Amino acid sequence: MTRPRRDPRAEWAAQFVAGAGLRPRYDRTRRAAAGRPRRDPRSEREAQRVGAAARPRYDLGQAGRPLGEAVVAPPRSVPEAPQTIIVEAPAFLVAVVPDAPGGRLSGHDRQVLGAARALAGREGAVAAIVEGACEGLGAAGADRVLRLEAAEGYDPAARAARVEAALAALAARHTLFPESLDGGDLARRVAVGLREPLFTNAEVVAAKGLVRPARGRRVEQSLAAPRFATVAPDAAADYAGPPREARAVPIDGPTPPPPKSILSATRIPADPATVPLSLAEFVVSAGNGLTDLDSFRQVVAALHATPGASRVLCDAGLMPRHSQVGASGTVLAATCYFALGISGAPQHLQGVAGCEHVVAVNTDLHAAMIERAGLAVVQDAQAVMPALLRLLAQETAGRATGAGKAP
Amino acid sequence: MRIAVLLSAGLHPVSGAPVLPRVEAQAIRLAAGLAASSEIFGLHAGPEAAAVAEALGQGLDRIEHVAVAAGEDPVPALVARLAERAPDLILAGRRSQGGDESGLVPYALARALAMPLMPDVVAAAAAEDGALRLDQSLGRGALRRVLVRGPVVVTCHPDAPAPLAYAYGRARRGRVETVAIAPVATPAPALAAEERPYRRRPRIVKGAPAGGSAAERLKAATGESGPAGSGRLLIQPDPEDAAREILTYLRQIGVVAAPAEPKT
Amino acid sequence: MTSLMPLTTVFPGLVWLMAALALVQGLRRAALWRVGAAAPVAWLDGLAKLPRRYLVDVHHVVARDPYASRMHAVVAGGLLAASILTALAILPPLAGFRPYWFLVALAFGVTAVGSLLVGARRYPSKQKRLSAGHFQILPFLLLAYAVGGTLTALLLAFGAGSGVFGSVALALAAAGGLGLAFEVRHGPMRHAAAGALHLVAHPRPGRFGGRPDTALQPLDLDAPRLGSEMPADFTWNRLLSYDACVSCGRCETACPAFAAGQPLNPKKLIQDLVAGLSPAEPAYAGNPYPGGRAAEGERGALARLIGPDARIHPDTLWSCTTCRACVEECPMMIEHVDAVVSLRRHETLERGALPEKAVGPVTELRQSGDPGGRPLAARTDFAAGVELPRIADGGQAEILLWLGEGAYDLRYGRSLRALVRLLREAHVDFAVLGPEERDTGDLARRLGDEATFQGLARENIATLAQYRFDRIVTADPHALHALRNEYPALGGCYTVVHHTAFLLELIRAGRLNPGRLPDLSVTYHDPCYLARYNGETEAPRAVLDAIGVARREMSRSGRRAMCCGGGGGAPVSDVPGERRIPDLRMAQAAETGAGIVAVACPSCTAMLEGVTDRKAEIRDVAELLLQAVEAGR
Repeated sequence: MTRPRRDPRAEWAAQFVAGAGLRPRYDRTRRAAAGRPRRDPRSEREAQRVGAAARPRYDLGQAGRPLGEAVVAPPRSVPEAPQTIIVEAPAFLVAVVPDAPGGRLSGHDRQVLGAARALAGREGAVAAIVEGACEGLGAAGADRVLRLEAAEGYDPAARAARVEAALAALAARHTLFPESLDGGDLARRVAVGLREPLFTNAEVVAAKGLVRPARGRRVEQSLAAPRFATVAPDAAADYAGPPREARAVPIDGPTPPPPKSILSATRIPADPATVPLSLAEFVVSAGNGLTDLDSFRQVVAALHATPGASRVLCDAGLMPRHSQVGASGTVLAATCYFALGISGAPQHLQGVAGCEHVVAVNTDLHAAMIERAGLAVVQDAQAVMPALLRLLAQETAGRATGAGKAP
Repeated sequence: MRIAVLLSAGLHPVSGAPVLPRVEAQAIRLAAGLAASSEIFGLHAGPEAAAVAEALGQGLDRIEHVAVAAGEDPVPALVARLAERAPDLILAGRRSQGGDESGLVPYALARALAMPLMPDVVAAAAAEDGALRLDQSLGRGALRRVLVRGPVVVTCHPDAPAPLAYAYGRARRGRVETVAIAPVATPAPALAAEERPYRRRPRIVKGAPAGGSAAERLKAATGESGPAGSGRLLIQPDPEDAAREILTYLRQIGVVAAPAEPKT
Repeated sequence: MTSLMPLTTVFPGLVWLMAALALVQGLRRAALWRVGAAAPVAWLDGLAKLPRRYLVDVHHVVARDPYASRMHAVVAGGLLAASILTALAILPPLAGFRPYWFLVALAFGVTAVGSLLVGARRYPSKQKRLSAGHFQILPFLLLAYAVGGTLTALLLAFGAGSGVFGSVALALAAAGGLGLAFEVRHGPMRHAAAGALHLVAHPRPGRFGGRPDTALQPLDLDAPRLGSEMPADFTWNRLLSYDACVSCGRCETACPAFAAGQPLNPKKLIQDLVAGLSPAEPAYAGNPYPGGRAAEGERGALARLIGPDARIHPDTLWSCTTCRACVEECPMMIEHVDAVVSLRRHETLERGALPEKAVGPVTELRQSGDPGGRPLAARTDFAAGVELPRIADGGQAEILLWLGEGAYDLRYGRSLRALVRLLREAHVDFAVLGPEERDTGDLARRLGDEATFQGLARENIATLAQYRFDRIVTADPHALHALRNEYPALGGCYTVVHHTAFLLELIRAGRLNPGRLPDLSVTYHDPCYLARYNGETEAPRAVLDAIGVARREMSRSGRRAMCCGGGGGAPVSDVPGERRIPDLRMAQAAETGAGIVAVACPSCTAMLEGVTDRKAEIRDVAELLLQAVEAGR
């Protein structure tokens, strides 16, 4: 489902040097059309050469070939001039209903589009069903776009009814939803509404079939691609090819909304200061290396983070017990953990095992937390906190006067 | 107020022992907290009532059991019983545990009973004139507060308050009643999936291109290529520099908003 | 009076009157015990053994405080002797025999000296652990009775009993004596009457037999009520035992939770049970629960004991580490831990009112057989690289190694690896249950969840019944206690040996030849469940001596050691205090100056390792022995 299949025979044929006697000869330096570029160690080495002194010097930190960029850059900035792919008469359609919160595709949406693209292959087309305006659909792999009218307020039943109508009109071979909170909800409503079975939480999406876990991940169920499926997060890769057309498809008039039962809906954003530690996205945590907890609290507030603490501070009553991080406190699921003056006892590290990124500031170079951290600063946290506060204050001031950007 | 809590025969995720799914125990707690005077009962459709007897120790006094053969769709039987009892609120877990875990049953019920469904609720309270105030989880502690007029089907999210402790004495006093029912709705279409032991698959690494080579994917996975690389270490930097580095790093991973953008 | 009747009759009559008053007051109190549940009591056996229990077992505890021991011997001995001798003087031949009155005067004199000793503990300033209230007037009553008695007896001895002086002396004796008798219902003298009866009808007669009787009694899960909610739910002899409390405060000095400022004071707890029984009980006048809670709550045999507004706050109940230090120190042989567990059983089984943080571990125990909800097969993960035979492979082994919950812990895995390597070194035929081993249920049982404990115990007993082994060796004293002492009541009888005892056996048999590590200075921390629950204090010390380390003792060691704070579910209940128990214990260890604290229990290892800024290293006895064995090669 990912790389195009290699055809060794064709590659050999392309490399054939014609008219060189009885024995066939091949030019192996010639690049295969679809393959990976062949490395030339000699020229790479030459590129690393610094200056032109008699004694050659090489900068080995500089990669001869920008390997990293291909990974870091988003797919749309592929060096070659991207050419939009147009599928004029698709053999079949694969529909995708992305969440697209705020008119922007989420990472999960892109993955589902990538999965749909893999299902569609060369002949099929991917049709995205979105509400209101949504950008970047073509780059994410959509050939067709159905724009439903944007609904006001929260009414999942009405949205499901609109999507049902659109799907009925589209007659797609497969329909994929993201298995997210809203997407999973919508998928189930639509599937039940259309009396179709739903293959939920697929962890593998390929033309051969879909696979989902069941019975507490003891078994997996596989099935040739069904009509309706939801795709688990991080199960499929984004679409990485050239942009697609994303041609708008007209749809019929509005569908009558079902009776309203929701009187009002208000969104309450998570307040980082009060959100339960186990749900927090970004935790700034204080340890024994801190003495000034007032500036710690200011840092937490300035970074819009959730405060945490090591056991010692909680035992001493300096921080509330519910802010304790660790095996005996709260086990975190945060994206980032910022540890100030925490050396990292084993029980504490157990609490942050699930954190993707860790930043640590500690005076002890050999502290376990420094080892665990993605960015480790061996420095007194007491000194770093005011510096951080000053920096944030400067930026705020700069923004307020419109003077410009901080670095 | 009459509240029905849907119970399923779950399996423990690690030991595989038959247990009450945690999220259903949380749903019981939501129901118990809603109104002291309300009538709360559990409802289970399955071959055996013993599978959900554990719920009696976690806040339910009475469970109704509708006998349904193993492997059969429980929805028609549940619809029939719920139509008879006509509860004002039907609570369920967002996914079952140990079965197909597709989470479709509450939706099928809501459709068949023509009731609205509110998913992923973490808190519930009675509002004025019979409405319900429900807090839906939007992940990471964000909520959507919805005012809804019942009767309504509500699924409970795992971020709801932790379940009440199991009390053996209460479980002993509670009772399970088996009710005979004639199913009314037709069963939902089923998928004939092939089953085999679960195989853990590598998660797709963020930022890795789909068409990249194995070497590129490895580099993306180990984070060797990016500037944020693995384990940057600054030894005794100037505090100002350290602060700048930290802030840059935090912005890179996206937990702190960029300076020029207004906060959302 | 004296004009109507001779003093030789009135004086013994006074003592008989005292006895009658004491009996009435005692019976009024005893009527309250009748609300308690029935309990089987071996009356004749108890009565026959009363003198021995009093003179040997009680004295053994009392004698730990030499002053109190002497004081009690003098004042109680004198009081009894003087009163009995005087009472006998009702017989005319004795009444007329003047030298007899010298003897009586001597006995009263001894009592007077004792009374002064009693007074010296309370005046001018009271010792901290003692209670005030009615206890503060005790020395005066004793002194009045003793001095009045001495003077009266002397007057009679000199044959001058008819004067005004005689009346004054008699009045003094009557005031003191009747006061003492009156105090049998609510005051200090209750301990004498209830204490004696308690020794006869003790709920754990086994503890006087020389062997520790510490297993919790299994709860009948079909009983109409589970655990104790109110005083009437306790058996009558337990209610009696709480009345025996003399408020000496030895338990509170020994209690680790009290020392850490957690809201538990064993003396106040027992006094709350006493006061909860009767609304007429005078106010408690000892040290309160730390944290200064003032709620009084309802009183009476049917009043709830536990609750935020009841006499005992739930935090008090969940602070207990079940270390039995209070029971060990109690001169009245009161079983505090049984009371705590009985109250916890009601909270957990009937009300589901476990502490919030304990709900998770107990639920996982019930559902998956491990408090952490980890796969049972992962228990042997610690042994990566060490061969660990499974008993399922051969069906039998000489030694079954019970790994316990500590095996999941990274730090404790090191200790277990050391133990396994030692067993290999000594060519012991051993095996583990592997994925068939479930938790013993100790945590659930101490937290009052008897149903989960019995379920786990039954499953473990069924597993063990499939295999043949001679003995079980375990490094976890909590597992040891459950397997050795608590499983027999559920039908599983095994010979269970702690790893320190087994290692000592191997050393003595010459199967392990450790070198000597004279450079190490070690202090040994006794685990409660080994030392107090099972009386094993010597084997680990003998192992340490065999490897030649410089061994030092902490001020509290052996059966009187202080808890690490890791027992009884206290770490999962996590009731906040002013200090932490392991910090206190490590401070005591630091006083010895030893560089290594030797431990023999996974809970102790985890708790003591968790102390920040500690100077000493925490090493299991097995780890030290392995180091010595490797040094001796």
